Order: sequence, then structure tokens, then C-alpha cells
Amino acid sequence: MEFGTIEREIHIDASPEIVFEVVSSPEHLREWWPDDARYEPVPGSEGEIVFGDPAAGGGTVGFAVVDVRPPHTFTFRWTHPVGEVAGEGNSLLVTFELTPSGGGTRLTMTETGFRERGWEVAVLEQQYREHVAGWDHFLPRLAPYVATLVARP
Amino acid sequence: MSTAVIDEVDDDLWSAIGDPTRRRMLDLLLRGDGTATSLGQQLPVSRQAVAKHLAVLDRVGLVRATPAGREKRYRVDDAQLARAVAQLSSVGSAWDARLQRIKRLAEAIQHTQQDSFPH
Repeated sequence: MEFGTIEREIHIDASPEIVFEVVSSPEHLREWWPDDARYEPVPGSEGEIVFGDPAAGGGTVGFAVVDVRPPHTFTFRWTHPVGEVAGEGNSLLVTFELTPSGGGTRLTMTETGFRERGWEVAVLEQQYREHVAGWDHFLPRLAPYVATLVARP
Repeated sequence: MSTAVIDEVDDDLWSAIGDPTRRRMLDLLLRGDGTATSLGQQLPVSRQAVAKHLAVLDRVGLVRATPAGREKRYRVDDAQLARAVAQLSSVGSAWDARLQRIKRLAEAIQHTQQDSFPH
């Protein structure tokens, strides 16, 4: 049975340069995923991402940048304990691949390592269900907010 | 947003496989049937502890027992394991949600830039 990899593909009406910035920079990462992100978007950078409030049972896991090729590929490992060197067996490997497509970008995401880490991750994400639910509240308000930004001179 | 699947995760099933020893036992059983004794020989825990863990896995239906002499022989229940894996794929739906957010953010930035630099 193969449950070691998940793969997703999505079309985005934005240039690969913009999409690359959104998937790779810690400033943007904080907007679409963890509550906090501390790393340099350069190969070999060892950082961390934070879910929830660490003082109130939140979680901090390692985030290691593996490969950075703007605007084509961004690869990182995560879920390893902070301070450990990320590798096979202690972390999940995520690869974003960007391909120009019809004036926009086709974004492909693969995440591997579940054979070893899947249960832990599923439990981790389960624990931070509220984090996800928080997004459900936030997102409907985000679009109007962005619209007001665009409308400004 | 496809986060609904996460809410449907079966707590008992997850707590059953949330334990590293039990996951290791499932891994071993996927390679072939086993008894508390045979599993105990491959794990750094007592036969009694193995029997307790097997009972937990049995209770959520992840393994099935058949009598084998004085012991029980266990095998993985494929259907229930498939269900657990489907729940694991709720991790995939978490990615669906993240990718939707990436899409919205990138497209919002794209629109902003187009407005800033009219053609």
C-alpha cells in the first residue's frame, strides 16, 4: 500500500515570480500556513515554524530550506524537532514546482515521507485544528480587505 | 475550503495509531500475521504490553484475531487500515486548503500590481 506521498496541482492567475514569492518567503508563509515562520529562504537555512501559541500548548517544528530556484522550484523539509538536522525519517519533504501556464502559473506540490512521519503529522495537524478553523473565519474577510487595498490610489 | 474531513477524524482510531509502539506493531503485522509472543520478540516491550496494545488495535478494528493454540494470531484488517489511511489523507485536504490560500494571496498580489502599473 502506498501512502508515502501526496501530490496536488492548482492553477493560479498570477505570474510564477509572484507565486514563488508567496510559497517561499517567511512573510507570506505566515499568511497561508503557520502562525509564525523563522527561516531564510536560501538553501541550507535551518529555521522553524510555529503553530498556535507555544505558551498555550502550540507546537514548533523545524523548517529546513533544501532548494531555492526562483521562479521554478522551492523545496523544504519540516516536522523534524528544532535543532535536529532534517533528513529522511525525521521530516517531510515538500516540493513546490512552478510552471508558466496560460498567463498564470501551474503550481504542483508534492509532500513525501508519510511512511515514516504521516501519523505524527496527522496528529500534529489534528491538534491544531483550531488553527485551520481560524482560517475559515479569516479567509472570507481577506478578499474584501485585499479589495480595499487595491482600490487605494 | 476542504477542512471538513479533518473534523471527521475518528478519535479512537487516531489514538490507536497515535502510539509509536502500536504503529510499529502494525508495520510488523503488514509483513505477516503475528502473535503477542512473536511481536514481543521484535519489540523492546514485554509480551504483556504487546497484548495490551493488540487489544487496543483490535478494539478499533485495525487488527483481527483468530485463535491459534493458546494464543491469538493477529492480522491487519485491510478495510479498516484503508479507512485510517483515508483519514491520514485529511492531511492532503489540509494542503488543499493551504494551496487555496496560496492561490488567493498570489492572485491578490497580481491584481494589486496590475492596478499599480496600468497597461
